Amino acid sequence: MSSRKLLTDFFILMALTTNVSFVVNPNGLELFITVVTNLAATLLKVGEGRVLSAELMATGLVADLHLIPALYFFYTGDPAESVSLAWGALAANVVSVMLVVIDTVLKSSVEEE
Amino acid sequence: MRRRKARRRPRLRERYERRFFEILRELSLPLVILHFTLAAGTLGYMWLSGGDFVNSFYMTVITIGTIGFGEVVEGADTTAGRIFTTFLALGGIGVFTSTITVIARVLFKEELQNLWRRLSMMNAIEKLEGHYILAGFDEVTAELARLLERRGVPFVVLDDSQRGLARIAEQHVPYYLPEPPLEQETLQAAGIRRAAGMVVNLGDDARNISIIAVARLLRPGKEEFTIYSFASSPENAERLEELGANRAFYPGRMVAGRLAAYLFHPESDYLVALFDRLAFGEETDVDLMEVAVEEGSPWAGRAVAELRRELGANVVALRRPDGRLELDLTDEHRVKPGSRLLLFGRTSRLEKLRERLEAEHELS
Repeated sequence: MSSRKLLTDFFILMALTTNVSFVVNPNGLELFITVVTNLAATLLKVGEGRVLSAELMATGLVADLHLIPALYFFYTGDPAESVSLAWGALAANVVSVMLVVIDTVLKSSVEEE
Repeated sequence: MRRRKARRRPRLRERYERRFFEILRELSLPLVILHFTLAAGTLGYMWLSGGDFVNSFYMTVITIGTIGFGEVVEGADTTAGRIFTTFLALGGIGVFTSTITVIARVLFKEELQNLWRRLSMMNAIEKLEGHYILAGFDEVTAELARLLERRGVPFVVLDDSQRGLARIAEQHVPYYLPEPPLEQETLQAAGIRRAAGMVVNLGDDARNISIIAVARLLRPGKEEFTIYSFASSPENAERLEELGANRAFYPGRMVAGRLAAYLFHPESDYLVALFDRLAFGEETDVDLMEVAVEEGSPWAGRAVAELRRELGANVVALRRPDGRLELDLTDEHRVKPGSRLLLFGRTSRLEKLRERLEAEHELS
């Protein structure tokens, strides 16, 4: 078990769960934690030797580019816009989690060979 | 039974890219620590101020960035706020400065810059077509590279030796790969599939034979891909030709031949020097060219005088289909199909003629 992979996967999942939580019940603190976990996951993905590294990095960046403006809009008086941006980030985070699963399966099959 | 798949060796570009991101990976941990420090600071000030995100983030940045404009967020001027700011500054300033140091160290790393340069060079090599590959870069190949550059012929140099790389840097070679030339992936990265030919000069015959064998696996046709090789003796030159080189040269014999031309024609040394320069691509104003007159060609059966006018170059000699050279050409001499014309004229005119012939060839 790779500790780095554990940490990255943890942040990817955490970003998804807090994102869902914010979308269901918009709350500034949850949005802030979503941004923090999402950015941490993106930074940990830099240079990772995964099979789907590029795809994971791309989805991470998409989510970041939705969540950072969402944070800005939330605290500047436009929570509706913030929620809609968070929905976009949620889509990217779902894809991210799916990619993590596919990557793990692919990696284990490559190792078996 | 499950069949085991042979794992593909990563291509050169993939290896460069992987190494590039491996180096960048050194940035990730310091950036994550800085990120969490910023997050903790912002969260702390948000708690103190009752949720003022923008000012809390700003306060954190000016604290750990040692700017310290003052207490711009509500609650920062309380006892709890000052205790929090003290601990944030103690921990955060160290994190901030060490992250900046790591970023500077990684981005200015010579290896990272070299990898970036190589990746950009590989992008440019991928666009080359009809170029030459020079395997090995010694004094002779360096001179050849100068001649090719003067003629505007693109080429890619392959050499991984210290001396070769020093020479490449000194000569500012535009395209090169500092990788073992004998490896198939190096040849592929040099664009062997799109190249016109290769010059092999790896210092010893065994290495020359190996690279010729590898190159012929990728480009078997001698007509489509020409290989010129150096050899350590006339006998080995013959062997190299049998093993796949279009022509192999023993440098001693070539130099001796050039010198002998001067010795044998002491009274016409200007002419010898002119032909010498022409043959070795050093004369840029005038040039020689050989053109085949095939069956059905519009030039077949035409008089030499007509061709001189139409081609804008002098037809100085003609090689008959039986291989005999005809030098006493009269204006009325008719060109038979299967002959080859030897033209002498201005380089610009011959270049235009070459382009015209290529266009006609493509059309046919």
